[in-house]
Amino acid sequence: MGIIEKAPLYVEKIPGGGIVITSAEGLLNWSRASSLWYLLFGLACCAIEMMATGASRYDFDRLGMFFRASPRQADLMMVCGTVTHKMAKRIKILYDQMAEPKYVLAMGGCACDGGPFYYDCYSVLKGVDKIIPVDVYIPGCPPRPESLLQGALKVREKIYREKIKDFAGDIPPKQA
Amino acid sequence: MNKDQIENKLATRFGSAVEILKTKFPEPCMYIVIDKYIEVCKFLRDDPELAFEFLFSLAGVHYPDRFEVVIHLSSSKHVHQLVAKVKLPLENPKIPTLSGVWEAANWYEREAAELFGIVFNGHPDPRPLLLYDDWNYGYPMRKGWTGPDFIPMPDKSKGADE
Repeated sequence: MGIIEKAPLYVEKIPGGGIVITSAEGLLNWSRASSLWYLLFGLACCAIEMMATGASRYDFDRLGMFFRASPRQADLMMVCGTVTHKMAKRIKILYDQMAEPKYVLAMGGCACDGGPFYYDCYSVLKGVDKIIPVDVYIPGCPPRPESLLQGALKVREKIYREKIKDFAGDIPPKQA
Repeated sequence: MNKDQIENKLATRFGSAVEILKTKFPEPCMYIVIDKYIEVCKFLRDDPELAFEFLFSLAGVHYPDRFEVVIHLSSSKHVHQLVAKVKLPLENPKIPTLSGVWEAANWYEREAAELFGIVFNGHPDPRPLLLYDDWNYGYPMRKGWTGPDFIPMPDKSKGADE
């Protein structure tokens, strides 16, 4: 009954029966957006803000977001901090290991475009979007936990807007 | 020992091999001639009145006419510090390794060798340390270095303001 109580917009109760009617798209999007598990890794000082956001004062858990230490179990990659060229390859590998659907949130100036390391720097990638697609950018150096929470809500909004034909596109049609 | 005492001791012991610099800093600062580099460093470590047993920084510097290796020493026994520099030529900079004197010099010298291209003769482990594995773009801390994905700072004095 949890779904019926918590998602009244998507589920209609038929009186007297155990049958609910909803759209598959709405239910899929609702379930994906409500359990957005993120990959546990931090690259620099932004990770401190991410830890603060995950801890009890700001609390990612109330959005259904828990960190997972394995990319196989993660839906969201939060790139928190400076992406060096040395780390960029590892981030690409982690992103490739994540299962679809997957979302990327670039946190802080460094992950967005290099930030303070944009000029005269030999070691920093100028934005994580050079190697992986990014869904939400959060500027700031570092952003406050409120900004990060808003970024997570933006990812949820994006998931809610998805159409079933978009994410069914990868599935090959069955041969008759 | 205070600053003047350390300077006098080194000047009387080594003469022209050590060039004391006049600075406003509390620690003595000097150039060491490269031929006497290891000898002076061993003296700094072993002399009971100096007893610099801790090397806490070794860095390379690129000047327009020379390279320099700058070492910072401290003594927790006497609570004093010292800065020593060695001048190297721009072409083919070579310097003997300090890792036989202070073990801490090992990684500092690997870093300076990788970022400045200074060769440390006799280094026990001359592998690259910091840059990524397939790096072949030269020595990035040298002035005028450019490489892939490198964006130089625009010159604000010429009115180029982004």
